[in-house]
Amino acid sequence: MKIETCVIGSYPVFPDTSVLMDGYFRQADTFSWEPWITTAVSDMVSAGIDIVSDGQTRDPFIQLFTRKLNGCRVRDRTEIIGKIAYDGPITVDDQLFVKSFLPKTAKLKGVLTGPFTLMRSCVDSYYSDEKQIAFDFAQALHKEAEKVQGVVDMISIDEPFFSNELPDYAIELIGTITKNISCPTVLHACGDVSRIVSDFIDMPVDVLSHEFKASPQLFDAFKEFSSSKQMCLGAVRSDDARVEPVKEIVNHVQRGVDVFGDKLIQISPDCGQRLLPRKVAFDKLTNLVQAGDIVNG
Amino acid sequence: MFSFTKKQVIVDISGVEIGGQPGRFPTVLFGGVFFKGKPDFTTAEQHLKNMFGLGEKTGVFCVPDFFIRKEEYVEPIVDFIKHKLPKKYPFSIDIVDPTIKLQVLPVLAEHNLLTRTIYNSIHIGITDEERSVLKQYTPHTAIVVAFNPKDKSPDGKIEVLENGAHLTDIGLLKLSSQLGIKNVIVDTAALAPGENSGAAIAAIPVVKEEYGLPAGCAIHNVVEKSSWLKDFASARKTVDVSSNVNITLFGGDFAIFGPIENAEFVIPTIAWQDILVSEYTENYFGVEPIDFHPRRKFF
Repeated sequence: MKIETCVIGSYPVFPDTSVLMDGYFRQADTFSWEPWITTAVSDMVSAGIDIVSDGQTRDPFIQLFTRKLNGCRVRDRTEIIGKIAYDGPITVDDQLFVKSFLPKTAKLKGVLTGPFTLMRSCVDSYYSDEKQIAFDFAQALHKEAEKVQGVVDMISIDEPFFSNELPDYAIELIGTITKNISCPTVLHACGDVSRIVSDFIDMPVDVLSHEFKASPQLFDAFKEFSSSKQMCLGAVRSDDARVEPVKEIVNHVQRGVDVFGDKLIQISPDCGQRLLPRKVAFDKLTNLVQAGDIVNG
Repeated sequence: MFSFTKKQVIVDISGVEIGGQPGRFPTVLFGGVFFKGKPDFTTAEQHLKNMFGLGEKTGVFCVPDFFIRKEEYVEPIVDFIKHKLPKKYPFSIDIVDPTIKLQVLPVLAEHNLLTRTIYNSIHIGITDEERSVLKQYTPHTAIVVAFNPKDKSPDGKIEVLENGAHLTDIGLLKLSSQLGIKNVIVDTAALAPGENSGAAIAAIPVVKEEYGLPAGCAIHNVVEKSSWLKDFASARKTVDVSSNVNITLFGGDFAIFGPIENAEFVIPTIAWQDILVSEYTENYFGVEPIDFHPRRKFF
């Protein structure tokens, strides 16, 4: 089976604020984000990526969701000021827009910021109960997953904070989102998760996605456990502007094949690429695709 | 009517004071001096005379807001300001085109006008070149436009002041401070009808309570954009003028009221609202109006 190339979520395309201000001065009726979504997705497609995202150009990955959830108020940070609840589609329109111009050969990944990461990133002025906050976020994200599952080819839950702190309710939390979702699901947790691999292999998702490039110790950690999970292998770094040569990526992916065999189904950057210069991000994706072609033969 | 718990900043712009608790100072009115094509300074002078006369009669501060749309008009308009405005009187420079913004600042500096200049405006569209020129030729006062395309609510306006809503590298207030701007007044960014236009009014007390800074907006732009009002053509002027009343009643400190030609309608209307607000805020909150407040003219 072919190992597919994919992105994790964000891509470094930022809106042209002069265009936005021009709209303000003209008293425009709407402020469209479509030009920047188009640019991000077009870069991914041009690089040859098999599974793209919408690029998450609207906002950082926390505000992207909290801005549209009841109970959240976005100022300097997101403040929780009431009961968290779903208030209608968050990412669906952008996914539909991407679908409208995405080549038929490419797949689309919907990305949800995980409930634990959302909880840890907000200032609570309402609950005084972290677990309840996380589960209310999870309920809201489940509703978003229900809305987006018919549009995208898979849904990824992005939980970077799991690498720092895995709550004892993590499996139940992720299951709240993925319950009865019909499309394939992915759990992405960057950072060094080698201490908690045994917890991840029980997560109620189809694919685990981790930053193997920055944390190669993960190979040995995963070797210790028998897992039926399919894997997405981080193969280029997202925190380093050095563009990895194709040969280096091939060697890294080959190591993944040796460990995971045919369970290795995707290769990607270690994390979202928002913090990289756009050209660097693009070159990394291009090399990732070339490496994938070589490994796939 | 409002009294804010946050200590209110009173900005002195070359003798014109703006800000403070509602009822203390009259609402400052910015009248737009627009030129269609080549500037007609004779007409502009008449409008200015009329606006200042009404301001003196009513006790309302009025500031001319000069629009500059072409590079070749920078020098003559600045020359007009220097020679035809009352000495030391403040004025604002209202420029959309980033290139002209870069051009006007050194000219204002050359004529020693930066202490009187209200730079209209600093916003998310600021360029690196504009930052650089502003650092070199720094006006004492700037209007910061709290436009946040991601969130048009009052919270969104706070967000863009705090952190630029991740559209600029830092928040607009910190940016203004880094540029050396001494006085900041906040324009709460009125948007088109249907685009949460009322949020610009609702944001005024939010900004004043959060930062204590002078706040206001150009709410008349909403009326100007309204197609609905085409069905009520004879009411358009009334709606336009009266829309500014919202600013005063919500504790605002300034209104950018549109064409200076509307001064004869707007100034008495706002003076009346200033009297109304002052009567209550003095009786209930103990806020005394200044000596030349419209309410002093009333008695």
